[in-house]
Amino acid sequence: MFGNCSSKSGSEAGLYIHVPFCRTKCRYCGFYSEPIVEHDAGAVVCAMIAEMKRHELGEGISTIYIGGGSPSSLPPEHLFRLVHHAAQQCPAAAEFTVEINPGQADRDLLRGLRRAGVNRLSIGAQSFIQRELDFLGRGYAVDCIGRAVQEARTAGFDNISLDLIFALPGSCLDSWKHNLRTAIALAPDHISAYSLTYEDGTPLAKDLAAGLIRPVDEDIDRAMYELTIDDLARAGLDQYEISNFAKHGSECRHNLNGWANGSYAGIGPGATSYLKGTRSANFADIDGYVRAITSGASVVESSETLAGRERACETAVLNLRRRYGIDLAEFKSRTGFDPMQLFAEPIRTYQERGLIEKDGGRIFLTRQALGIADSILCDFALV
Amino acid sequence: MSTEHIRNFSIIAHIDHGKSTLADRILDLTGRVNARDKKDQILDDMDLERERGITIKASAVTLDYEHEGKRYMLNLIDTPGHVDFHYEVSRALAACEGALLVVDATQGVEAQTVANAHLAIESDVELIGVINKIDLPAAQPEATSEEIQHAIGIRKNECFHISAKTGKGVPELLEAIVTLLPPPANRGNERTAAMIFDSHCDDYRGVICYVRVFAGRLRLRRKIRFMGNGRTHIITELGKFTPTMTPVDELSAGEVGYVIANIRELADVTIGDTITDDAEPAAKALAGYKPPVQMVFSDFYPGNNTDYPKLRAAFEKLAPNDASFSFAAHNSPALGFGFRCGFLGLLHMDIIQERLEREHGIDVVQTAPTVSYEVLTRDGKVIRIDSPSDLPDITKVAELREPFVLLEIITTSESIGDVMKLAEARRCTLLKTEYISGTRVMLEYKAPLAEIVYDFYNVLKGISHGYATMDYEFMGFEKSDLVKMDILVNTVAVGALSLIVHRSTAEARGRRLITRLRKAIPRHQFEIPLQAAIGGKIIARETIKAYRKDVTAKLYGGDVTRKMKLLKKQKEGKSRMKSIGSVQIPQEAFMSILDSADSE
Repeated sequence: MFGNCSSKSGSEAGLYIHVPFCRTKCRYCGFYSEPIVEHDAGAVVCAMIAEMKRHELGEGISTIYIGGGSPSSLPPEHLFRLVHHAAQQCPAAAEFTVEINPGQADRDLLRGLRRAGVNRLSIGAQSFIQRELDFLGRGYAVDCIGRAVQEARTAGFDNISLDLIFALPGSCLDSWKHNLRTAIALAPDHISAYSLTYEDGTPLAKDLAAGLIRPVDEDIDRAMYELTIDDLARAGLDQYEISNFAKHGSECRHNLNGWANGSYAGIGPGATSYLKGTRSANFADIDGYVRAITSGASVVESSETLAGRERACETAVLNLRRRYGIDLAEFKSRTGFDPMQLFAEPIRTYQERGLIEKDGGRIFLTRQALGIADSILCDFALV
Repeated sequence: MSTEHIRNFSIIAHIDHGKSTLADRILDLTGRVNARDKKDQILDDMDLERERGITIKASAVTLDYEHEGKRYMLNLIDTPGHVDFHYEVSRALAACEGALLVVDATQGVEAQTVANAHLAIESDVELIGVINKIDLPAAQPEATSEEIQHAIGIRKNECFHISAKTGKGVPELLEAIVTLLPPPANRGNERTAAMIFDSHCDDYRGVICYVRVFAGRLRLRRKIRFMGNGRTHIITELGKFTPTMTPVDELSAGEVGYVIANIRELADVTIGDTITDDAEPAAKALAGYKPPVQMVFSDFYPGNNTDYPKLRAAFEKLAPNDASFSFAAHNSPALGFGFRCGFLGLLHMDIIQERLEREHGIDVVQTAPTVSYEVLTRDGKVIRIDSPSDLPDITKVAELREPFVLLEIITTSESIGDVMKLAEARRCTLLKTEYISGTRVMLEYKAPLAEIVYDFYNVLKGISHGYATMDYEFMGFEKSDLVKMDILVNTVAVGALSLIVHRSTAEARGRRLITRLRKAIPRHQFEIPLQAAIGGKIIARETIKAYRKDVTAKLYGGDVTRKMKLLKKQKEGKSRMKSIGSVQIPQEAFMSILDSADSE
């Protein structure tokens, strides 16, 4: 059931554009972004377009994803410019996603995006409970979400994804059930549902360390996760990755390429790229980034090229996040390693414990293993 | 010098009651120390001793003293303050005719005062009661002398009131040493017999024996014989401590000094052995000592695995100068490489640990102390075991015996109820209760050592608000209703956690242990049963629930490098753990279970 897109996506390449701005920073967010009012957004977008031109993108790029930060926090004309240039440079892109904050889902903006070639929207709904939105620092009212979805449909989008967060402090199984039900009622084509992560350095993590908030009990967190998998499946949204669910054919191709450990070019301050086996990261500093672009210097802050074995490990970890798992033949041809040999020990151990299954040409995590995937994947991360 | 003009004496006291200060004052008054060499508390030659106020090794000093126009030779033999060093105290006392029993006037008689006094009385040593620190505002010399009379039997009007710090009363005490303490017996014409009461190893000169000559004389360059092992040596140096080593040509009956005779190894010298002249040997050896009995055992592991060779080297350096300490390499499948160490008692153990850390810079982890047991087998043999894993097959065991001690506790009358409750809970049998004053009481118990070494002292200090003191003396092994308790982790018995316990306390101990285990072992992918069992019978059980949630919610391209690092770290953490079956236990957690520091 995951076969089509998962195994095919391996040969794709993607373009990721990181918009480093937000209107306000959410309390849980660990991504790089800065308040837009403090910067000359036009100059930054110019620099990003210039960076795009440095890469030879062309026909090889099959997916584009503009994320952040908050792309919709940009003045529309700047966002349109970015979209326009991306579309122009990647004429063969079949999937073009833009992340939208429900509070910024303006009708004209959505129509403009659709007209410019964007065919997928990822709406950062997060929750349908006002108290939770306020807790996260999202800054919009619950009913904005429904309106945003409505406007998106009206604008002609037939591939809409909603982001949701569960296991917020103070939430319970019933409140999460309500969130799931409300999301399903909006009939999205795709849902990403994340258990709340306390990212280092975020205000939320500080509150946690200070004892101001109490995380949800592990058992409840797990129960919410299991409920998600079941309820979404009943609504026709099948799980295809640990935190991702889609109608058949609406899986996010851009991210599938990532879990296949495929190549992508990253544009913008703080963005990362993975090209020809090298991972690199751009300066996560807007002014430094713009200066480097205008002076013709490199924007890469750090890069790392993995040796064959390490790359194979990374590929396995990423592959196993997919319900499809590792395609044994494809893995071998991509990495040069036979996964049944390289990972013989963890595969045997976890098969015995019913946490990994082998079926035909693939191995994958069992349903029971998903909630504790890290404890298994760590044995694939280092062999 | 005629033995008439020799006095050999010790100072015995509870810790901090001023023994070393008094020794210093006596040295001052006899002009033995010039200001340049002077450090406070000269007899304590290890930093640690000075810092803890404890004297670990016995030392001896020869002093000049004039009384009524005649010169006297006073030999002051220092003793350890704690009865863990019972053996060393008794060695020092055997070399004396008299002893000063020092009691702090602000503290009164303490458990160790009584224990020390008992030892002196057993050794037939004449006692002088000394009440110290009378200069302090809180001093209660009258009440203290009452306590001495009650607890020890020295009449209160015979006690000397002094301040070792200011020197007040010390000259009178010195006079008393000469007038009240007996001189050594005059046996100078008999064949040579000298007793070794201590020894230590010097890197350059080999073994230095501390001796008390009882009969005849030792002479430089004479061939001597150790009557215990028959070995002969030529004396290359004889001398006295004044307090620095001062060579002499001869040590005669009644005198105290040192002998160097080209002996390489401390193991070649038995404390308590008699030295005689090889050409004209004594007919029989002097009454010897009982060898030291190691009663307390604990495993020491390097805090950091790579420190193992360093730890071994440190033990090899410590052991030669401490005949009562032993160590043997010990490899636990669960805990890795370490050493099983034997000690006289708890304080002795603490001192070794502290010296390792301080003098050798090694961080050690130490398991909760255990005692040694005696096993009577069905075929009538008696064997000593100091680890539950050494216990023979239970069908071959006729009887298990555990060590009992005579436990002396002195506490305030307000806390007596709580103290008695504690003692009862620890299987102690009350032998005697005696009010030594209106507010303080002395309790004497017969107690199983295993119950005392565990955490008894800390609890006692707690319930008495720090006022109670205790001391103990080994009585012997006795039959006891002991059982071996196994701890099973995920149904596999873990050898390092097995215990020998009394049947009556087994369940409580087992329950406590597995509760600590439950807290120390991280959750796994599966449920882990923890059980305490005697024979095949489970007496306590707990379960570590499987963890329910361990997954990175978001993993997209931008985060791969960082998330991979976290996963690798998680994997490395797993590798550092010790496996028991399929259960992985962090070594630190294991240590925390066994660690003596927080046994409750």
